[in-house]
Order: sequence, then structure tokens, then C-alpha cells
Amino acid sequence: MYSALILKPFFCVLIMNMFLKGWAKKTALWVALLLSVAQIIFAIFPETYHQSSFIYVISNFFKFDLAADNITRVLLLCIGIVFFVTIILAKQMIKDDDRRFNFINLLLIIVSGLNGVVLVTDIFSLYVFLEIVAVGSFVLIAFNKEMLALEGAFKYIILSSVASIMMLTAIALLLLVSGSTSFSAISASLLYSTYNPLIMIAMITFICGLFIKAGLMPFHGWLPDAYTAAPGPVSVLLAGVVTKTVGVYTLMRIVISVFGLYLPIQKILMFVGASSIIFAALAALGQTDFKRMLSFSSISQVGYIVLGLGCGTTLGIAGALFHLFNHTIFKSLLFVNAATVEAQAGTRDMQKLGGLSAKMPITGFSSVLASLSAAGIPPLAGFWSKLIIVIALWLSGNYIYAIIAVMGSVLTLAYFLSLQRMVFFGKLREDLMNIKEGGLGFMIPTVLLAVITVGAGLAFPYLLNTFILPVSSIFGG
Amino acid sequence: MTDKILLLPIIIPLLGGLLALLTPKKSGALKEGISLIAVLLNLVVTFSLFKSNLYYALPWVGFGLEFSLRLYHFSAFIISASAFFGFLIMFYSVVFMRGKQFLNQFYAYFLITLAFINGAVLADNLVIMLFFWEGSLAALFGLIAIGGKGAFKTATKAFIILGITDLCMMFGIALTGQLAGTLTISNINLPLNLLGSLAFILLMVGAISKAGSMPFHSWIPDAAVDSPLPFMAFMPAALEKLLGIYLLTRISLDLFKLNPHTWISIMLMTIGSITIILAVMMALIQKDYKKLLSYHAISQVGYMILGIGTALPVGIIGGLFHMVNNALYKSCLFLTGGAVEKEAGSTDLAKLGGLRKNMPITFVCFAVAALAISGVPPFNGFFSKELIYDGALERGWIFYLAAIVGSFLTAASFLKLGHAAFLGKISDENKNVKEAPLAMLLPMIVIALTCIIFGVFNILPIKNFIQPILGEARLGGHNFYGLPTNIFLVVVTLIVLAAALLNHLFGVKRYGSGLKAVDHIHYAPGLSWIYNKAEGRFFDPYEIGLNLVNVISRVGYGIDRGIDWIYDKFTVNLTLALTGGIRKLHTGNFSVYLAWSLLGMFFVILFLLRSI
Repeated sequence: MYSALILKPFFCVLIMNMFLKGWAKKTALWVALLLSVAQIIFAIFPETYHQSSFIYVISNFFKFDLAADNITRVLLLCIGIVFFVTIILAKQMIKDDDRRFNFINLLLIIVSGLNGVVLVTDIFSLYVFLEIVAVGSFVLIAFNKEMLALEGAFKYIILSSVASIMMLTAIALLLLVSGSTSFSAISASLLYSTYNPLIMIAMITFICGLFIKAGLMPFHGWLPDAYTAAPGPVSVLLAGVVTKTVGVYTLMRIVISVFGLYLPIQKILMFVGASSIIFAALAALGQTDFKRMLSFSSISQVGYIVLGLGCGTTLGIAGALFHLFNHTIFKSLLFVNAATVEAQAGTRDMQKLGGLSAKMPITGFSSVLASLSAAGIPPLAGFWSKLIIVIALWLSGNYIYAIIAVMGSVLTLAYFLSLQRMVFFGKLREDLMNIKEGGLGFMIPTVLLAVITVGAGLAFPYLLNTFILPVSSIFGG
Repeated sequence: MTDKILLLPIIIPLLGGLLALLTPKKSGALKEGISLIAVLLNLVVTFSLFKSNLYYALPWVGFGLEFSLRLYHFSAFIISASAFFGFLIMFYSVVFMRGKQFLNQFYAYFLITLAFINGAVLADNLVIMLFFWEGSLAALFGLIAIGGKGAFKTATKAFIILGITDLCMMFGIALTGQLAGTLTISNINLPLNLLGSLAFILLMVGAISKAGSMPFHSWIPDAAVDSPLPFMAFMPAALEKLLGIYLLTRISLDLFKLNPHTWISIMLMTIGSITIILAVMMALIQKDYKKLLSYHAISQVGYMILGIGTALPVGIIGGLFHMVNNALYKSCLFLTGGAVEKEAGSTDLAKLGGLRKNMPITFVCFAVAALAISGVPPFNGFFSKELIYDGALERGWIFYLAAIVGSFLTAASFLKLGHAAFLGKISDENKNVKEAPLAMLLPMIVIALTCIIFGVFNILPIKNFIQPILGEARLGGHNFYGLPTNIFLVVVTLIVLAAALLNHLFGVKRYGSGLKAVDHIHYAPGLSWIYNKAEGRFFDPYEIGLNLVNVISRVGYGIDRGIDWIYDKFTVNLTLALTGGIRKLHTGNFSVYLAWSLLGMFFVILFLLRSI
């Protein structure tokens, strides 16, 4: 039944383009919106989902081997929320019907791919879905056909294809060893030959490919350019779910379910995570472009997730997952804010902005909330996830990494405060006197994401016991 | 009569003080009435309680802190004496203070001081005593501060000096309570071992600084200039001596067993001797009526501390008797100073002179008190000093020498003061000076008469008030009243007094004026340099402390700036450098990024292969 999540968007694209093109140009947006809501509802209440017979027949025909556990639900929820937000932003920002139709088509393909990445249980299918997402993303980044956007897309293509080659190589090697591509088969065969250098290289090649996809330092080169140059809704989509799913979730899944947590791998993960936290935060501190700063911040926050994962304990993985969810929410919110500011003020250069809170109170306030959540200020959601990660690191004896995580929080606060000061606080610049708050298309996502950030923080004690800890126990710690 | 009556000596002045504070500014008579009634009631209550032995305890916050008051012969004596001085000086102040500023506050602080001193004397719990003790310090600050321009600085000085010494006392109280296991004064009896000595010294610092001994004295001469005059007669001359010496006696006799074999005794005598000599040396050269007296207020404490420090019955009796006598003649002297200030408009000795004919009663009172303080028989000062000499000589000739030299200088300085103020030629502007009003004369007369009575009939105070404090066991059947028994000491005293007179005559003849009678000492080789420095406050521990604090604060400021630099400059610049470096690395060239990724992978593989 999970195949519906993959197939529905895909068939929507097919049907809309083949049979109903004239009609779909107007309505594609609403169809996509319906799908996103359906995905959110399914992610929260999987039992309410009713399988329609048509889809059932199709899915039987394709014979996907799919599985879903609670972590998948978290990811499906993230994808659903960002999907929803992106559509609304697209409605606001892309006025031309044709272009919007194209955008929705690509978006549906990407969502289909993302759901596939989350649900598949064999390593080659995983690769296929990764590529679907990547191709969709290339086109979306360059959607406006501007020079910078094309450059960003190009870098993404190059580095992403390198990652693909690495992963494909690794898959070939693993197939050689285990004779199968399913997670369980590879995992079982690796138990007997862990220390085979060939397998080690296969593992690490795969993981490095995922590092590139996730944009961790020093594999991150493509990320700031791509995020910054992409149109507003695409930035949200990329930062919110694409890299998180393609890079981080896959990394988690592969490391935990397939390769197992070996000490050298853990060490590599923690080192890469910590270096991402610190260097990306330092880099963010020096940026003057709103979205570029957010891009580096994104790298830094992904560092936390990988650090929690590398810690290897149940608590660490739980923290990593929760932070992944939180990061999706607050970083999407910040990119929505950036899109709003860019649309209203006409620039992303923070040195040309200032005092926007006076005229854009909702954007200003929500961005403060998101920044504080990212910096780990209680009681916002980001505080709890960082706290769990730091505690997990401390308990597992990785004191230095725990201290780095805390220091990283300070740096996070530093660059976000400077962002707030430059963009939203202080006196309104005179050339911005006529600025207005963004339209409804900006405000709905803004408020929705802000409410989730605050709500998840306040409901943390409930979430911890019913949601976060059970999720991590699936991995068996 | 219930025990609760013990609260009256605290409540009556306190209530009177608060009422005086609340009266309208214009109604001078109302304030004066309230204050006089309060001190009178206080006098009546304390005198009527004189022979009683009362104990009153209220459970308080716990932790061994009981609000307990104890009245017995010693505390009864002290609060009666306080009430006596309080009454007379209040009587005097009513006239003296008319037309001055801050009258509400003056009366209020005066009465609150009296209340707190009564409380501190009556308290039978160290913490309760500390509470009242500190309360009186707050009122003291107020009393000095209302003196006018520059008084606030002096008040701050007094507050800081006494605050620091009271802090020592607070530690002493904590240590004593810890050692004794109780804070109830009448139950404490500690040996003078190592920690015991420390506790003793800490408590002693509080006590002798209250009494105004060196080196905690330096606010008194400043206050003499700045504060309202009745304050000087009331606090440094009378009540603070009573309170400070009361506590010193209590810790020496009751809380700890001071005996002549301890080094603490030597230390006390040394402090006393140094205080006598140094303060009187300073008094000698003063050119201001009040300031000269203020240095004597310090010097005389030295005698009391020396007497008590001998740890011999004769010395202690002498010290306590001297405390009473000093309170009498010193307050009398300050009151005459006030009369002169009020009538002649100045206390600068250079502008005074020849007031004997215009203010005959004031002059007589001054003469009696001056003879008493100089230790001339048959006034009271003579008898108490003889007792102290007796004790000091028994403990060591050096202490006796200090005391006798002090006596010589005291006599010399009072000859100078009397000569400069009352004898000699009257200046033109002082021709029409009149005698002070009756209300101001009466307290002086009463106190001067008491000086004579306590001298001639010294059996009265010694037998009734002072010998009971030591108790029969310590006295061992001796009686210390009557004429001095040691003829040698009397002869020496008389010779010294005669020498002082001769010295004065020599000085007058040489320089031709009473004011300059001691200039040959002032400008003696070697001494004049020291005097200059002392006048410039070079030796003032407060000033030294201020300079020290200044240095410390500068060092602290430097450290703070350094820390600030780390936050403000170093961290920021480091971050900027790192950030700039990282920015430069991001050239935007995809091949560079690709190279990073491949390098990263290379190192990861290297690490993995090494760790296998």
C-alpha cells in the first residue's frame, strides 16, 4: 500500500500531461495540494489510509519491495509538510500558468522520488530514486534560467554525478559480495566479512557519495550555490527535504540497517559532523546574502544530525531524528522568510536591508522563532533535539564532541543574531519605507511552520515518549 | 514589675526618635518637647531599674538566636550613664541646635542612637548585640552627614572604617559562637588558645574601634570639624567610649579570661600606649578648639585600653573609672567648645582669646574639666590615672613611661588651649561676646560638679559601680577607692604636672603667645617633618586604605579590560579571520569543490584502512 505514495504523484504527472493538459494547467496546483495533504494525513494516521483498488492493482503489477516503520513516517511527514508549503509558495511566486504547471510536474516527480527513497528496501532501487530526485532538482534549480541559477545547477549536476558514480561503484562491489541488493541480504552477508578491505572501500565510497548528497563539509561545495541561486520555493524544497532525505536519511538507513555501526564509521561520521558544525557556522558568520547564510547554516545543522547518528546510541539516533524533523521545519521557515523578504524588498543582500520587523511583523517574528530554535533556545523544538544529541554524546563518552556541539550552538546564535540585526531589527532604512508584509501565499506557510516549531517544543515531553524514543528503538540502537 | 520593662530603654528613645522624624519641619518646639520627654523618661526608667537584676528572653528566629536582654550591675551602670549624658546633652542641644538645618533628623538620629546603644548594652546574645551595634552605626552616619558641606565625606569615612571593624567583629562573633557552642553572652567562657585568641582579637577590633582607639580613629578629628557639635560630645566623647569599653571589658572578663600571662594582654597595653602618645602628640599642635579635643578623645581611650590590658584588678578598675571620668570631662569640654562656637562664632584658636571675662561660667567649667583630664588632684582624672599608672608600672616600666609622657603632653596641650581661648587679650570682634544661655550652661555645670564629686568622693563611683563589675573573687578583698596608696606615683605625677606648667611658661615667654606655647615641640628637628606628614594625612590608615583600594581597583580594571579585549577584540577578530579564510576558500569554482570532495574521500578511506 505504500507504493501509492510513489505511484500517485507519478501517475498524476502522466495523466495530466497526456490527457488533460488544457484542464490541468489551471488545476494541477490543487491536485498537488490535495496529494500533499493526503500525505500529511497518512504520515500522521497511517491506519486511516484506504487503499483504492486501482492503485492496488498497479502496485501489485510493479512489485516494489517496500517497508515502512516509524522513521519512515517521520520522513513522510516532513516531505508532506514541505511539499504543501512549496506548493503554496509556488502559487504565490510563479504567476504564469505554463511555468507553474511545469513546476508542479517537476515537484510531483521529486516527491514521488523522495517517497521512494524513504520506502525502498533494496540498495539499487534506492539509487534509482536518488537519481530521480536529483534530476528533478537540477531542473528546478535552474528553473528561472538565470545565470547564477544555471551555475548552481551545474555544480550540483557535477558533484551529484560524482556521488552517483561512487554509489554505483559501491553497489556493484556489494552485489559482488552478497549476491543481492536488498538491505537485509547485504547486511547479513556483511556480518561474515566486515573487515574485508574491498567491502570497507565499498562502504566508504557509498557513505562519501551520501556525504556529497547531504552536503557535509568538505563535500559541500555545490550546496551554497545551489540553495542560493534556486527560486524561493525550490530553496525551501531543497533545504527542507531533498538533501535531508537524499543525503541524511539515506545515510542513517544505510549505516544502521545495512552496514551496521562499526567504530571506524562512527568516528568518521562524528568527525565529519563536528567539522561541518564548526566550519559551516564560521562560514555562515561571514555571509551577507540572506539565503547563502541559511545555506551554510543548513550544512552546520546537518552536522548535528550526523554527529548524533555517529554517536551510535539509541538516544543519539533519537536526537538525530528529532533534529532532522526540527531542522526541516525551522530551515524551511527561514527559507520561506528569505523568499518573502526577497519578494518584498527586491534583494537578499542583508547590508541593503534593515528594520524590516516594523513593516513585516509576522515574517520578523517567525524568523526570530526559527533562529532561536536553530540556536537551541528553550523551549523551542531545536533546543530539545540539540539537548538530546549533546546528552547522548556525553553519555557515550565523546566529551570533546559534546563540547563542540555546545560551542556550535553559540556560533549558531551568533550568526542568526547578526542576521536578525541586519535584516529585521533596528531602524527601517529609508529606501524600504514602502515595504509591505508578504501576501497570503507567504503567510500561510510562515504561520504553519512557526506553529509547528513552537508546538513541537512545547509538546516535547509528550513527543519524547510517544514518538521519538520508539522511533529510535526500531533500529535496535 | 515584669521583665518586659527591659524593653523600655530601647522602645522609649526609638519611639521618640521616630516621632521626632515625623513632626512637621516648622514645629521646632514640638520636636524639642518630644526629644526631651524621651530622654527624661529614659533617664527615669534606667535609674529606677538601677539596682535590679532582670532577664528577658523572646524566642526569635531559631538557630540559637534568642532575643534576650540582661540587666545587671554592669549593664545597668552603662545604660544609666548613657541616659545621664543623653539627657544633659539633649538639654544642651535644644538651645544649641536652634536655627540649624535638618533638625528632624538630628533629634531622630540622636534618640535612635541612644535606643540602639541601650539595646547593644542590654543584649545577652551576641547576634542581637551586633544588630543594635550596627544600628547605632547607621544612626552615627546620619548624625555626621547632616553636619553640612563636606560632612557627607566624613560620614562615609566613619562608616567605612567602622563598617570594616564591625565586619571583623561579625567574624569574631561567628567564631566565638562556633567555639562556645552558644551565642548567649552570659554562658560563654572560652580559653585563650589559638582560635580563642583570634576570636578575642576580632571582637576586640570591633570594641576598640567603637571606642575610637588607634588605628581606627582617623574619622574622629574630621567629624569634629564637620558634624554638629553635640554629636561630638554625645558620641565620640561619651557614649561610644562607654559602649566600646563596655564590650572590651566584657570580652576580657567574661567571654574570655584575660590574664597577665597572655600575649593578648601585652598587645592591648601596646595598643593603649601607642594610642596615648600618638594621639596626644597630634592634639598638642592643633589650632582648633574642637579638633584639639577630638585628638584627646582618642588619646584618653589609650589609658582605658592600657588599664584593662594590664589584666590586673587595679588596672581594670582604673580603666573603667577612667572611662566614666573621660566621658564626664570630655563631654564637658566639648560642651564648652560648643558654647564658645555659639557665642564667639568660631573655634579657631587664633581668633579666640580672653574670653574669661565674657564667659566666666564656661571658663570655670572648662578649667575644672581641663584640670581633671590633665590628672590634677583632687579631680576625678587624677584618681583614675593613678590606678592605671599603678597597673602599668607593675606590668612594665615602658608602659608607665608612655602613660606619664602622655600625661605631660595632655597637661601641656590643655594649658595651651586654655591660654589661647580664655586668657590673654581679647580680640576686637569678640568684645561683645556674652555668656552662653542657661540651658547650655546647666549641663556643663552639672557635669563639672560631677567631676569634682567623683574626684573627692571617689568611693562613691568605685565602690558602688565599678568594683562590683570585677566581683569579690577578683578583688581579693582589696579596695581601690580613697587616696592613692603608692606615694612614688603621686610624686612623679606632680613633678610631671609641674614640668608641664614650666614648659608652658617657657613656651609663652619664648613665643609670646599661649597659642604658640608648644611650638618648640611642634617645630623640633625631626618632629616637624613627621607632623607635616601627619597633618597631610600621610599616616591616616583610611587614606592608606583608599590608596590601596585605588591600586587594587586599577589592577582590577586592567584585568577587566584584558578580559574585555578577549571578548571584544580577540574573539571577534579570530572569528573574522577564520570566516574570511573560509570565504576565500569558496572560490565558486566547481573543480575546487570537486577536489575537496575527492580529497575528503581519500582521507576517509585512508583512515578506514588504517583502522582495520
